[in-house]
Amino acid sequence: MDAEMKDADTQAEIEGDGDGGGADAVLGLTGGGASVSLCYHQAYGPHDDILLLEVADDLLPDLLQGRVIVRGCPDEEAVLCTPSATYAMKFVGTSNSMFMIPPGEPSAPSLRPDITNGDVVAAAIKLAPGSIELIQTAPRLDKLRNLLRERPYVLDEDLGDGFQHKKGLYTWQDLCELVQASDSEMSDGLKSLSAVEIDGFWRTVDANSLNTILDMILHNSVLHDWPLNALPENDVFSVMESDGFMRKIVRHCLNIFGTKVDLEDRSFWSLDERCVCLQFARRALGAGRMKLGNFMDKWERSIPSGMRADIQMLEGEVLCEKLGAEIWLHAFSVADLPLTPTERFAALFRERPKWEWKDLQPYIRDLRIPGVSSEGLLIKYTRRTQPSANAEPIFTAR
Amino acid sequence: MQIRVRCGCGESSCPEWAVVELQGVVQPQPSFAGDIRGLHIGRLCAAPSPSSSSSSKAGYTFTVGYHELAGTKVTLKKPLLVLRKKKVGGGDQEPSTTAAADVELEVIGIIRHKILFKDRPKALISKPPVKEKKTLQSAAA
Repeated sequence: MDAEMKDADTQAEIEGDGDGGGADAVLGLTGGGASVSLCYHQAYGPHDDILLLEVADDLLPDLLQGRVIVRGCPDEEAVLCTPSATYAMKFVGTSNSMFMIPPGEPSAPSLRPDITNGDVVAAAIKLAPGSIELIQTAPRLDKLRNLLRERPYVLDEDLGDGFQHKKGLYTWQDLCELVQASDSEMSDGLKSLSAVEIDGFWRTVDANSLNTILDMILHNSVLHDWPLNALPENDVFSVMESDGFMRKIVRHCLNIFGTKVDLEDRSFWSLDERCVCLQFARRALGAGRMKLGNFMDKWERSIPSGMRADIQMLEGEVLCEKLGAEIWLHAFSVADLPLTPTERFAALFRERPKWEWKDLQPYIRDLRIPGVSSEGLLIKYTRRTQPSANAEPIFTAR
Repeated sequence: MQIRVRCGCGESSCPEWAVVELQGVVQPQPSFAGDIRGLHIGRLCAAPSPSSSSSSKAGYTFTVGYHELAGTKVTLKKPLLVLRKKKVGGGDQEPSTTAAADVELEVIGIIRHKILFKDRPKALISKPPVKEKKTLQSAAA
């Protein structure tokens, strides 16, 4: 109650007519021995509700046109989001005395500064303890991923309990409250997590459900003689709907595994060989380890006819290890690794103490930190050794 | 949670604040310690002839008591926005969330220049400061 009243007082005193601080007199003070008397404002005080934010000129329009929002939960460091970028907010204190002088006419009797003997008065409202600096930063998308993994969409769930229990379900607005990212970074994050908006909630689709839908699409492509590079959209939707698959989920699945092609008023979907084969590789490999030969047999048998499996497709998804004469494979997906560099490299070196560049590159190429090159990341988080000039460099933990 | 940053003034008419910055602190005399509101701090003066100063920057002096500081007007590389934390709204149904959710930041001004006094003050001992009322009185007495 008291604090609120004080706030209201401040407002009146700073903005009220005839009770400003005379900033213009200070800024306009030039040459000729003109002077201004600086005093403490009648409302001088700590005014903790007044903050200084340092803003580069290119960000000013966003701030002055109200396109900026501060995001963060109480236990997180606040970030400032423009429509497209995220900035960390760092308070930088100063030991100097920064007298802040508001605009407007001061209440004390004043004369124009060009009348030299007139006692022009400027009044300081507070001493600024420092200012907030903005440093562009990567959006905190790890949290977005964790939130969306709480409750992936599974087929037929809407026939059951519906959405009475909203735990683990997040609308766009919920995500804005919880995730420290700008709107466009959030959209990109949702896209890269293959999330889809279902009944107002952003969801990822459970892997088994995705497999079922993909199988069904492929199965129907054989039955109806649809070419895999030109699935007729309307036919796919109507056939799949009659099999009980929501159009929205089918479209989402097509988006994950292919691209839409419009041709003479009709829409077709072209399935991407790599995406489809990769999905079958994940299934063939499962969670365990397999010998390369066995895996290739199983994988090649499982993929749709007309597609060709290539071990290159598994970059960033599968790791090969030589054990004696055998090569063994196991799943290790970049999509499951942390998104911040420190934790990403820690996870990589837990998996393997030594990495060759060709193995390492697929696991770090998606890391993008404002102001830091991938070279810089390698220097910061790895130690590079090269036994001889011709040998492949090896990366170990720092 | 989210705190919106609003600006009522718009891009072209954001009121400009001034800053006078000096090293260290200004210590009011103990007799004023309770209430310094309205108290005169010092006299800010534009140097009589800017051409005489060593640099092309406009020179300023700031006289506080028996100390004189020499400084310059500096254009900030990055402007400072003056923000005010503000409680908004009123009749909310959920009292538990209002405290956190109903705060917004309002842009109330912009600082593009400051008058910076970065050197140590020079003591004014040779000539009595004529502007000080007390001194005038004692001289007259």
